[in-house]
Amino acid sequence: MSEWLESAITRARGINDWLAPKRAHALELLSTTKWPTRKTEAWRYTPLRSVERSTAKVIKDVVALSPVDIAGLSAIELVFVNGKFDASQLTKILPEGLSISLGQTLENAQQAQALNAFSTIKPERHLFGLVNDALAQDVVVVSVAEGVEIAQPIRISSLLSHGAESHTRVQVSLAAGSRLAVIEDVQASGDSLNTAFVEYDVASNAYLEHYRFALQTGTNVAIGGSHFNLHDHAKMHSTIVGFGSDLSRLDTDIIHAGQFADAKLNAMYLLDGKELFDLHATVEHAMPNGTTEENVRCIVADRARAVFNGRIHIHRDAQKTLAELNNRNLLMSNTAEINTKPELEIYADDVKCAHGATVAQIDKQALYYLQTRGVSRSKAQVMLNFGFINELIDLMPNAALAEWIRPIIRERFSQMEVK
Amino acid sequence: MSNTKSLLTIKDLHASVEEKQIIKGLDLDIKPGEVHAIMGPNGAGKSTLGYVLSGRDGYSVESGSVTLNGEDLLEMETEDRARAGLFLAFQYPVEIPGVSNLEFLKASVDAQREARGEDAISSADFLKEAKAACKQVNLPVAFLKRGVNEGFSGGEKKRNELMQMLLLKPKLCILDETDSGLDIDALQVVAEGVNSQRSADRSFIVVTHYQRLLDYIKPDFVHVLSDGKIVKSGDASLALELEAQGYAWLQKEPAEDELEG
Repeated sequence: MSEWLESAITRARGINDWLAPKRAHALELLSTTKWPTRKTEAWRYTPLRSVERSTAKVIKDVVALSPVDIAGLSAIELVFVNGKFDASQLTKILPEGLSISLGQTLENAQQAQALNAFSTIKPERHLFGLVNDALAQDVVVVSVAEGVEIAQPIRISSLLSHGAESHTRVQVSLAAGSRLAVIEDVQASGDSLNTAFVEYDVASNAYLEHYRFALQTGTNVAIGGSHFNLHDHAKMHSTIVGFGSDLSRLDTDIIHAGQFADAKLNAMYLLDGKELFDLHATVEHAMPNGTTEENVRCIVADRARAVFNGRIHIHRDAQKTLAELNNRNLLMSNTAEINTKPELEIYADDVKCAHGATVAQIDKQALYYLQTRGVSRSKAQVMLNFGFINELIDLMPNAALAEWIRPIIRERFSQMEVK
Repeated sequence: MSNTKSLLTIKDLHASVEEKQIIKGLDLDIKPGEVHAIMGPNGAGKSTLGYVLSGRDGYSVESGSVTLNGEDLLEMETEDRARAGLFLAFQYPVEIPGVSNLEFLKASVDAQREARGEDAISSADFLKEAKAACKQVNLPVAFLKRGVNEGFSGGEKKRNELMQMLLLKPKLCILDETDSGLDIDALQVVAEGVNSQRSADRSFIVVTHYQRLLDYIKPDFVHVLSDGKIVKSGDASLALELEAQGYAWLQKEPAEDELEG
């Protein structure tokens, strides 16, 4: 066990609140969990040195931070600053059918419900998920009433000042037939450490539109997860954009707990310098007639390292499942690294399940050809190789978000060097 | 003519590819409006010269100087050389699936306009120009929509190169074995296109193995390149002489020929 984990456990033991039974359970599991090493499969390519060495501290002082402005986006803001929920930034009057509350302020019946639901979607195997279970103090509970469509997206921002440690947690439930869009974003300003987990329960016929932006770069350590439980005929569409940092790790779990559920996951990450980004995506087809389509695309430059582990588990009863996993990568330098591992485990016999992974290199001849016509190297690079990322941006349902992120990604790519 | 300022001046150029010296002391002076043919056997360094002048990765200049309009060409990035007026028509144009020919052509034209401080050309205006250029080089307009050179025949690729030249209006065009792989009809189309672009302020370096192209594009000067340097220079009649004699005489008595050159 590492010193960091020991200190986390000690701190967690001091917390006594409405989540006490769940926290105790997490602590119990943590006390028997081995600190991952290179031999631990789930952390094989993602060494935890940066966590062990992190000097990030919980900052108790009130710090004023607000989420980045996105043109054309009018969201319901759910803001954490250094791990504390900042109620002052929440829209005062919420649309009918939507409730957003701190878990500790819920009425008894609702609190009991929230307690029951807590940490049931996120699997217990996630070490830092357990840390988050034990340490996330301000747990926010979001729920959408039956049949209600919330037009405005909710943006969950976890904002960190320099050197801050934070653990944030949100629980989202969509009742039958409801519709909601949620944007998860972390913005950190260096030497910080955060765990940010969100669990989503999507009831029958409900639709969740989801985004997760992991754009913190540099010396931040960012570990988190988005976990989804889909009931009968539930639908979700998720987009993940990652830029990597000293250590960025994201786990997603999509559980087809009902029949005829439909999940789409598009992830893109662009890494430069010595950044690392690790995406572990797991899809559990527990019930029949579900569909999943996953597209994961990476561009890795310089000495950066990308990790993708895509697991699709089709249970014995999940007949007529359609699942597709596609992973495309572009390597910009000889020292960049991509570790991609599709893992299909299929126990039903009447399913369609396909996967593919490709790694390409930049076409230097084509780059040169464009340059001889006067096109700058960076522009040529974008013309030649941005298409496969652009395709995923085009698929983002929210146009304002797509138009915000497109130039940011394009700019990042144009700065990457071919080596 | 000797009083006119040179467009391109190459002095004692030495260049290598993967540590193998290919260009070994090459001198060349080109004035505006002149057409120079460079002929020579395979392996003489003909294509290398084009790559070195355009600044291709992996082609390193060891010594010597090259100026274009008085500016140090070797100090510039590849794209800046193009913006300064250098154009290389490739022997083997690169196929770029996924980027349409029109997008590629417009990006090229816009990049050069931007370098001159001009705004990007409007899509409608550009389409008009591009269609006219297509017609001039005898390529169906549908080729604008296809991926750059994707699935083009050898002749179509060469005509596409020519189209780029028409649209970019460079000061110095290097045609690298533009005749290779062309039948006589295609050769005539390309030659007519080149001839239509000849003007007092545009110069050409026509690199070729065979004299045939020079029947259609009349050079002012012909140089023989052998083992990385120019060993003989003359007027158009030198090309005919080479056609009759072949290049064997170069390899037999290089030292003597150098003295003649």
